[in-house]
Amino acid sequence: MIWREKYNVGVPEIDTQHEELFARVTVFVETLRSDKEWSGKVSQVNETLSFMKDYVVTHFQDEEAYQAKIGYPEAAAHKKVHTDMVAYVGTVSEQYEKTGYEEVLIQQFAGKLLAWLINHVAADDQKIANYARKKEAEQNE
Amino acid sequence: MSKDYLVPFADAARQTLKLLLDIDTLEAANQTESTEADNHDQVGVVIGLTGDLSGEIQYRFPSETSLEIVKLMSGMEFTEIDEFVTSALGEIANIISGNAVTDLSTHNVICDILPPRINEVSGGTGIDETTYIFSTKLDSEIGVVDIKLQLKMN
Repeated sequence: MIWREKYNVGVPEIDTQHEELFARVTVFVETLRSDKEWSGKVSQVNETLSFMKDYVVTHFQDEEAYQAKIGYPEAAAHKKVHTDMVAYVGTVSEQYEKTGYEEVLIQQFAGKLLAWLINHVAADDQKIANYARKKEAEQNE
Repeated sequence: MSKDYLVPFADAARQTLKLLLDIDTLEAANQTESTEADNHDQVGVVIGLTGDLSGEIQYRFPSETSLEIVKLMSGMEFTEIDEFVTSALGEIANIISGNAVTDLSTHNVICDILPPRINEVSGGTGIDETTYIFSTKLDSEIGVVDIKLQLKMN
C-alpha cells in the first residue's frame, strides 16, 4: 500500500499509527499474495492477522479518545464505523478458525480491508482533521 | 422518475476513484450498452437499494481495469481475477453507493444500501413496465467503469 502525504491528519500519534497500519496491511497482503503454497504461509498469515486485530482496536480507541478531546461533533457516527469494522473482523476470524483456516475467506477479507482502510483514512479521518483545523483557526481569531 | 437520481452515484464514483486511486474520470464519449461478450470479461457488483428508492445499482469493471484498481491500491501486481480482487471491488462499490445515498439524503431522499453481490450482473428485482433504468460510463486512464441504476416505482 502506498502511503500518501494527503492522508496525514496532523496529529503525530494518529499519523504514526496510520502509517504503521498501512505497513502492517502491506506485509499481510504481500504474505497472502506470495507464490508459496497456502500450507506454507498460513502460520505467517495468522500471526499477522492476530497482530492486526489487536492493533486496529488500540488505534480505534486512541482515535476516539482524540475525537472526544477536541469535541468532534461526528464522533458517534465515526465510532459506529469503527465498531462495525471490529465486528466484521471478529466474524471473519471466527469463521476462518471454524473452517480450519480456509484461504478464500482471508483473501476476501484482505481485499475488502485494503479498500476500506484507504477510504477510512483518506475520507473519514480527514473529516476529523478538517474539524480540528477549523476549531484551531477559530480559537486563534 | 428522473435520470437525476443517477447523478449522485456518478459523482460519488468519480470522487471515490480519485480518492482511492488518484485517477481522474470523465463521462465516456461512447455510452453504448455493453455487449454480451463484454459482460464475460468483467467483474459485476450489484448493490440493492431500499427506502424512498427501491431497486439496485450495478457496477461493471472490465477485468483489466479491475486488476489495475487493486494494483493502484496495493502497489502490487495482480494477474487474475480472484476473491481478493472481487472483494476489493465489492467494497469500492459499497463505498460509492454509501456516499451516493448520503448525498441523496441531503435532498430528503432516504435510502439504505444492501451488501454487495459479486458477479450477478442482473439482480432479483425483475424488469417490467414499472422499472426505470439509467446508465452511464466513466472513462479513465485505466479503463471504463459502467454504472447502471435500476429503480422500481414505489
